[in-house]
Amino acid sequence: MLVRQFSISTLIFVFVFLIQESVINQLRLPGGGFSLPILIALTWAALSTPTVGALTGFISGFFMDLSQSSSGAMGHWTLLMILACYAVAFLGFGNDNLRGNPITNIILVSSASVLCLVAFVITGFLLGVSTGSFSRVLITILGNGIWAFLVTPLILPVVTRLHRALFGNQAHI
Amino acid sequence: MRYGGEGRARLLLIILIVTSLFLITLDLRGVKILDGVRNGTQNVLAPFQKAGSTVVTPFRNFFSDVTHLGRTRNQIEKLKADNARLRNKLLERKSADAQLTQLKSVLDLAGKAGYKVLATRVISQGASTSFSQTITIDAGTSSGVRPNMTVISGEGLVGVVKESFLNSALVMLATDPDFKVGVRIAGTQQIGILSGRGSKRAELQLLDNQKIVKVGDVLLARGSTNNRPFVPGIPIGVISAVDSSAGSIAQSATVMLYPNFSALGVVSVVLNAGKNNPGDALVPVAPQPTPVPTVTIYATPTPSASAK
Repeated sequence: MLVRQFSISTLIFVFVFLIQESVINQLRLPGGGFSLPILIALTWAALSTPTVGALTGFISGFFMDLSQSSSGAMGHWTLLMILACYAVAFLGFGNDNLRGNPITNIILVSSASVLCLVAFVITGFLLGVSTGSFSRVLITILGNGIWAFLVTPLILPVVTRLHRALFGNQAHI
Repeated sequence: MRYGGEGRARLLLIILIVTSLFLITLDLRGVKILDGVRNGTQNVLAPFQKAGSTVVTPFRNFFSDVTHLGRTRNQIEKLKADNARLRNKLLERKSADAQLTQLKSVLDLAGKAGYKVLATRVISQGASTSFSQTITIDAGTSSGVRPNMTVISGEGLVGVVKESFLNSALVMLATDPDFKVGVRIAGTQQIGILSGRGSKRAELQLLDNQKIVKVGDVLLARGSTNNRPFVPGIPIGVISAVDSSAGSIAQSATVMLYPNFSALGVVSVVLNAGKNNPGDALVPVAPQPTPVPTVTIYATPTPSASAK
């Protein structure tokens, strides 16, 4: 990733972070809502090379860690998002059947979003983060999965265009 | 990456992972610089959150209305305000006249206890994906808000100030899994510890088995040294279920917290609790049903009608 692409990507994720903190968090959506930085980072990674995916995860995860409402340690989301975005990019890289199909991408991103939260809960448990009752955690994760499945189709065209404008013709959707 | 850069890609991945592990280690060791970065971010975010709150309010009400299956937010808010007003009026009639004259507002819980409070607006709610239960209010150190101050609503204890910034503050709600408060049961004065469970139901652990608690008992904050983080006498909730399992060392119970945490709009930070302990005076009185008058109608047939 060139410095210019890295800088512009960072600006995009700053904007996404602002939208999440100032708008989406305040909507008080049923089922716990969704995390726009997670969805956009995973979608972005699904269109990228594994290297760009890992960097994308680092940027988005770092901003998620900066949020005051983040209960995990600083770097917790960063680590998870690096691994998740790298894994998503790795799965899609070089596989046009996977990358070129919007439905597959939506399922991939939604599943990865749910797995991110599950990983957050498990690693948070190891790091001493309180996550509440099991039922509450389950509702949040399931709600997030449903929201991810609904929201990803809406953001996919926008992210694809932005990605194409920044990285050239790597995205095929 | 496919053109001989695999080694570099792996190196980059390792560097990123090591960086994140380094951040986690620093944070767990309590390095202050990371707190400073987070605080700085919150200071930058506060104006955006205020603007977002103004813009989002109509949509927030829309989503809330959908959640509540058609009941409008305004009706709910009005009924809640009416309910709180009526409960406070009933309480005041039982209180001394001297205390009654000191009350500025029947809706102001803090006024009844003689607390000096600062009314603030909720400008953001913590992301649920972090599994913590927090809100951000639009008053901070510039208004005298400091960490470990009690936050209340008209219904009772909302939480405690966790972090204070220049023009905003982060409040840990009573529903947060990390939240703990010393409580006493109104009347019996039995003491215990209340813990948040991530929902409106909290868990109460009593410290002894001398007296039996029952459903409907009201819990009040026991208060802390120098009234930080909790001022005494604030209503917290009502016992909704008692765990009567045999052989347990201490009694435990489920508590339904008073405030509606999903609809917090305005909350108050207790800046100064004074020296008076309100005791049980803030225990909410259950609304009494209004008796329905019975009307008896006697019908007498007229002579002319019976003749026909």
